[in-house]
Amino acid sequence: MSNSVKTNSLSLWILDPLRPTAQYAREAFRPDGKVMAWFIPAGIGVALLVVSGVGWATNAKQFYFSYLVGWAFCLSLALGSLFFVLIHHLTKAKWSIVVRRIPEALIWSFPLLAILTIPILFGMHDLFHWTHHEIYDPASPQYDPILAGKQGYLNTTFFIIRLVVYFTAWTFIAHRLYTVSLRQDVDDDVSAGARMRKVSAVGLVLTAVTTAFASYDILMSLDPHWFSTIFGVYFFAASFLTAHALIALIVITIQRNRGLRGVITKEHFHDLGKMMFGFTVFWAYIAFSQYMLIWYGNLPEETLWYRHRLEHGWEYHSAALLVAHFIIPFWVLLPRAAKRSIPVMSFMAVWFLIMNWFDFHWIAMPVLHGDHAGFHWLDFTCWLGLFGVFLAFVMYRLGRHSLVPQNDPHLGKSLNFTNI
Amino acid sequence: MKAIITGIKATMGIYESNEDQVYGLLAEFPDPGALVNAARATRDTGYRHFDTHSPFPVHGMDGAMGLGNSKVGFACLGGGLTGLAVGILLQWWTGAIDYPLNISGKPFFAYEPSIPVIFELTILFSALGAVAGMFALNGLPRPYNPLFYSERFSRVTDDAFFLHIAASDKLFDLEKTGQFLRDIGALYVEPIEDRGDAEE
Repeated sequence: MSNSVKTNSLSLWILDPLRPTAQYAREAFRPDGKVMAWFIPAGIGVALLVVSGVGWATNAKQFYFSYLVGWAFCLSLALGSLFFVLIHHLTKAKWSIVVRRIPEALIWSFPLLAILTIPILFGMHDLFHWTHHEIYDPASPQYDPILAGKQGYLNTTFFIIRLVVYFTAWTFIAHRLYTVSLRQDVDDDVSAGARMRKVSAVGLVLTAVTTAFASYDILMSLDPHWFSTIFGVYFFAASFLTAHALIALIVITIQRNRGLRGVITKEHFHDLGKMMFGFTVFWAYIAFSQYMLIWYGNLPEETLWYRHRLEHGWEYHSAALLVAHFIIPFWVLLPRAAKRSIPVMSFMAVWFLIMNWFDFHWIAMPVLHGDHAGFHWLDFTCWLGLFGVFLAFVMYRLGRHSLVPQNDPHLGKSLNFTNI
Repeated sequence: MKAIITGIKATMGIYESNEDQVYGLLAEFPDPGALVNAARATRDTGYRHFDTHSPFPVHGMDGAMGLGNSKVGFACLGGGLTGLAVGILLQWWTGAIDYPLNISGKPFFAYEPSIPVIFELTILFSALGAVAGMFALNGLPRPYNPLFYSERFSRVTDDAFFLHIAASDKLFDLEKTGQFLRDIGALYVEPIEDRGDAEE
């Protein structure tokens, strides 16, 4: 029985490493298999990326920055989901078993995201100032002694090696967690839980370190003079928060199409809401910790990064971030009733997804447009185009398997879960 | 005014005994499930002044008793907002008014370095507010409770499950309520008298 789930052919491997198992799913957990679920986001995503291609031809530099923000947004969703699965395995969380299949579908996005890195590699000269050769040449007028000192880490070869290492590690961990969990649906292997916990113990350490360094490489090195050791935690906080938002949103979408009703209940939404509330506070805590130490230390090479974000219109973005990423969600999600209300939760899920993109836009764009704040149309087409394709892959995977890890031994506890 | 105070005390589980010094009826039930069912039946019959006692929290009891959502959160929020205000006031008054000190050219009062103090005071006051609110809503501390006159009631911290209907309830009647409790499955029903001789 254990071999009945075959691996997918290599060409479809990035979509899903396993062949469909939906026929083994129990009636209540079976996906409805509607093509529209992935066809609509795929269509919108590809169309917007084609439009973005036109933008690339006319304004390549803007395209690369917009693309990087959109890509980092999708990456943060996949990483946040990976943390979700890892932490819930390690803590033997029972309430979350009924929602676990959704982050499991999300974590198999790493092969797709790795392929989507290619445009960034072509745009490295436009994106990353540290790739310019003249800043390392003492004879050149552009010679930069500080960046020359960082050359051992910030160079193109090592950057690409690191990206390969990150994606290999993430794909490997995701592959283990995804395939073991899906095979359990069919072969009812009781050792699956222990095996996934073992992978998670190593995987959590590995993912934590690689995520922190990935955030330094992808977003922090856009301004290579600046450094902040807490930046990895900041990226994690944003990712973990947004992953919960996306999970809630996907569950709501499935339930609107009559799936999983009575399986995922208000009790589970209440917990997802608590996590969203907790991590919007955590995000603010980390964002403030970063800001306060730099404000207090008052070192020129650190404060400059904030200076760029507090002038030429970027101060409005900074203020909006504080109000809309922390203060408003805090008060909206504080009451118990809000976390148990599907309309409020779906609104806040979309809100957090937009705010996460706004946050990354705020990190990246002042490097390109230090003298005037604002949005370019490419910001939206690249972001939504990439997100559409990303979501299409996720919805496609969800349509091929049981929507719930149906043979998890603790599934009953999750189904009957209630908040005290 | 007295009625209002009596009403508030009743929500805390503190009931007045009637003119015959009867505090209420205490009924023992065999297990937590029976207690939940009994609480639901009592509520559905229309009794409001009643309470349940068990050695451990019973899942679903809040719903069965019709208690609704806990109000501790509001006490916590009130405490938090108080802490926030106290924190801002403390940082501003000490830093800018009472003892201004120039530390490496920083402003006397600024939000950036003050937020950790404001945050900690907010959390401290929220926690104190939550604990104080929990005590108040439960009517604690309560060293004297007429139920302690019952010999059987001492087992409530060990292995027994009790439901108590207070004499102050509008529907309370010593005979009928006693019969009602026996009908819903009480093992044993005992009238409790508020004798006032607890010091013995």
